[in-house]
Amino acid sequence: MRIVIAGAGDIGSHLAQLMTYEDKDIVLIDNDPEVLDLASSKLDILTIEGDATSLEKLKEANTANARLFLAVTTSEQTNIISAILAKKMGAKLCIARVGNEEYLTEQNHSFFKQLGIDTLICPDKLAADEINRLVHNFQFSDISTFDQDKISLIGFTIGPGSRLCNMALRNMSEHPDLEMVRIVAVIRDHQTIIPNGNTVLRNNDHVYIITDKEHCKSIDQLTGEAKQNVKSIMILGDSPLAFLTAKVLEKEYQVHIIGSDGEKCRKMADKLDSSTMVVKGSYRNIDFLESEGLAQKDMLIALTGNSETNIISCLSAKNRGVYKTLAQVENKEYTFISQDIGVDTLINTKLIAASEIFRYIRKGQVEAIKTLHGTDAELMQYVVRVENQLTKKPIKDIKFPETAIIGIVIRGDEFIIPTGDCRLKLEDKVLLFALPDAIKKIEKLFTYK
Amino acid sequence: MIQYKVIGRVIGYLILLLAVLLVPSIGFSIWYAEGDLRPLLLSFFLFIITGVGLSLMREKKEAGVKKREGYLIVAFGWIAMGLFGSLPYWLSQSIPHFHDALFESISGLTTTGATILEDIESVSKGILTWRSTTQWIGGMGIIVLTVALFPLLGIGGIELFVAEAPGPTSDKVHPRIKETAKRLWLVYVGLTLVVILLYWWEGMTFFDAFNHGLTTISSGGFSTKNQSMAFFTSPLIQYTCIVFMFLSGVNFSLTYYSLVGKPKRMFSNEEFKIYFLIVLFLSIYVSIGVLYTGKYSYEEAFRTSLFQVLSLITTTGYVTDNYTEWSAGLSFVFFLLLFSGGSAGSTSGGIKIIRHIVFFKHSLQEFKRLLHPQAILPLKINKTSVNPKIVHRIITFLLVYLFILFVGVLVLSINGIDLQTSMGAVATSLGNVGPAIGQVGPMDNFAWLSPGIKIFLAFLMLIGRLELFTILIIFTPYFWKNS
Repeated sequence: MRIVIAGAGDIGSHLAQLMTYEDKDIVLIDNDPEVLDLASSKLDILTIEGDATSLEKLKEANTANARLFLAVTTSEQTNIISAILAKKMGAKLCIARVGNEEYLTEQNHSFFKQLGIDTLICPDKLAADEINRLVHNFQFSDISTFDQDKISLIGFTIGPGSRLCNMALRNMSEHPDLEMVRIVAVIRDHQTIIPNGNTVLRNNDHVYIITDKEHCKSIDQLTGEAKQNVKSIMILGDSPLAFLTAKVLEKEYQVHIIGSDGEKCRKMADKLDSSTMVVKGSYRNIDFLESEGLAQKDMLIALTGNSETNIISCLSAKNRGVYKTLAQVENKEYTFISQDIGVDTLINTKLIAASEIFRYIRKGQVEAIKTLHGTDAELMQYVVRVENQLTKKPIKDIKFPETAIIGIVIRGDEFIIPTGDCRLKLEDKVLLFALPDAIKKIEKLFTYK
Repeated sequence: MIQYKVIGRVIGYLILLLAVLLVPSIGFSIWYAEGDLRPLLLSFFLFIITGVGLSLMREKKEAGVKKREGYLIVAFGWIAMGLFGSLPYWLSQSIPHFHDALFESISGLTTTGATILEDIESVSKGILTWRSTTQWIGGMGIIVLTVALFPLLGIGGIELFVAEAPGPTSDKVHPRIKETAKRLWLVYVGLTLVVILLYWWEGMTFFDAFNHGLTTISSGGFSTKNQSMAFFTSPLIQYTCIVFMFLSGVNFSLTYYSLVGKPKRMFSNEEFKIYFLIVLFLSIYVSIGVLYTGKYSYEEAFRTSLFQVLSLITTTGYVTDNYTEWSAGLSFVFFLLLFSGGSAGSTSGGIKIIRHIVFFKHSLQEFKRLLHPQAILPLKINKTSVNPKIVHRIITFLLVYLFILFVGVLVLSINGIDLQTSMGAVATSLGNVGPAIGQVGPMDNFAWLSPGIKIFLAFLMLIGRLELFTILIIFTPYFWKNS
């Protein structure tokens, strides 16, 4: 399968890296020979130096036979034009990254479809929405939704006061309120464990839970943490992500946003509501943040372009009594460190954008996908399309890889937490969680010809 | 180089336009035959001769009109209209002294509505029609209209538009100034016709309906009756007047958008909302005060309060009641209303609500800035930020307005007029309102003032009508330096 990626920036290279693991033929186009050299030295891909809007370069990349064309350069114009050109040349599916929120509305979808762009993605908007979800559910470290928001995947750390502490999973079904709750992964000492009935949960375990909408609300009692209201939020950063985040959050929270660039701050202040305070200043200057009332805030969201600055400001905020902190951390290496030293929640725009794009790549049979922090495992949603061993045998008899687990089965309007005796039916939607080594086997099980 | 002949030519066209607008007065004069036909015809021919003479002026080599010439055209254009407008009063001896005639003429053109006539009803109908017509001419930007009607003048409209309607917001309803002026005038003419027909249908004579129609939409306030609107006791007529006074205080471009099917623009406009709320709140507040006097029924109290509040806030100046007799507190409320004005882009005078909004928002921000010195606080109107330069100009406007007010009060009180009357007379002239407080209250007139004071007040009216800067800039030395 040939995939052409225009733009070898953060998202482009990250996607290229993920996809080469899966034996795809990747062609990477970028203006900058240095980033291309770096990418080709690490990955088994073809690189083409040049502008993605050049017909010659697109031909050179054999765009006509590409199954997927991804335009993810930093320039919106380049992305839109190259995606349109690629479609006309014969690329099957074209995705363009944009920054303009206006393009993403439902009405404009068909307009861009006519132009030849199948999907527009705005990584900053996706990240801002995720931050919004996390702020609303601040006691969790992760929350994502599937199947039109009816199913939630929630991640949190088990505190000493939690009921789940020292509970074996096989005993969970004895509690009636935990019946619709399935733990799909446990991260303990930086290792991802796919749990089975014998797994016993411990204090400080980070668990991922799948549940339906109704039971979602009762999950926060399981964290074993005293609840506090979040009303006022300080955001650090003047990037488009910081702006979009402030725009989403200002509707319900008192937002205070601090940027370092005067011009960018002025533009943000123009577009944000007047109840939101925009202040220009240095984020590294903790005294300044304090004079702007950091200690009185309930939450700090650090979205400066620099992961280190984000982590350090979150720690300083924690020290000054800020209840919750959220940091944008793009370097994977920092994931564990920052959580160990006390940053509550991390956001990684690359991962978010990659998850969104990935579902277009997995042979078209996976319906949704989600990559989680601190683990290589992925949550995927498949539909059972053909009669094979999945439908013929109960789950316990299927040759299911040990490093994968079925979270929930959606049958019509019904949600089932499957037990070993459960049998899948055609058109069932299956949400499952798998470590990388199991992904291939899973794909085989669910693939139809 | 200032091209005086171009300025003269535009003024020539203006005076020709005045001649055309004299026609209804001549019509009423013939119909009622009260002996004022000769002076009116004499004025008419004087207008035509002067107008044609001036309009034939040509510079040898003409360049486009620059900003400076734009200001001069507007300033001298208004002064010329004031002078020529006074001719019918003076020639007919309805007003025997020229300074009185000039005061009446400028009070009319600037839509102030202050009068020196002690017995209005004794003046002939033709002259009274001219008196109302001057207000109708002054309501909208007459000079911009001239440019719109005579595209052959070959001068750009934008310089004149800026000089004649220097409001804080630009509300062009069409990309071209000429088209904008035409559309806004069309709304103006349309509303005038509607209100004339309504008054007529509701029981006024055609003559009264015509005159009051002209002075309602222009927010002028001249009446053909000594008692002003109080003569028409019919609640229906008074409510009609209330509705159209309210409309005269709304930005005409918003009215235009509502008429072409975009009413949302009006109801989402911040200035409109605040204008509406101020009128509503003050009417209720005043009604309560009026009820305490014990002389009114609920409906009467509400109607008279609403009428008086709207008349002052839109700077119309009709009266149906003597508000200075209600209570000292209410009297002061009405004094404050002299400083309000309607929306920008309306026919009302005064400071205008948008400037007050900007002033309050700006002040609040300064307080916020004390706590957060590094905060970036854009001032927003209708959810878009206002350029700091405009904010600066508005604050300057308010300070200059206050300064002129104090100078004016000083001049009047030095001349032996009591302080309350001085403040009222200056505020009402500068704001183009009409009635004030003290000895120039709603039931008084300006006849007793000395000639010098009358000319001074007329000058204040001109300054106020052209929103200060257009007249004042001519008095700055910098304006006359070649550059």
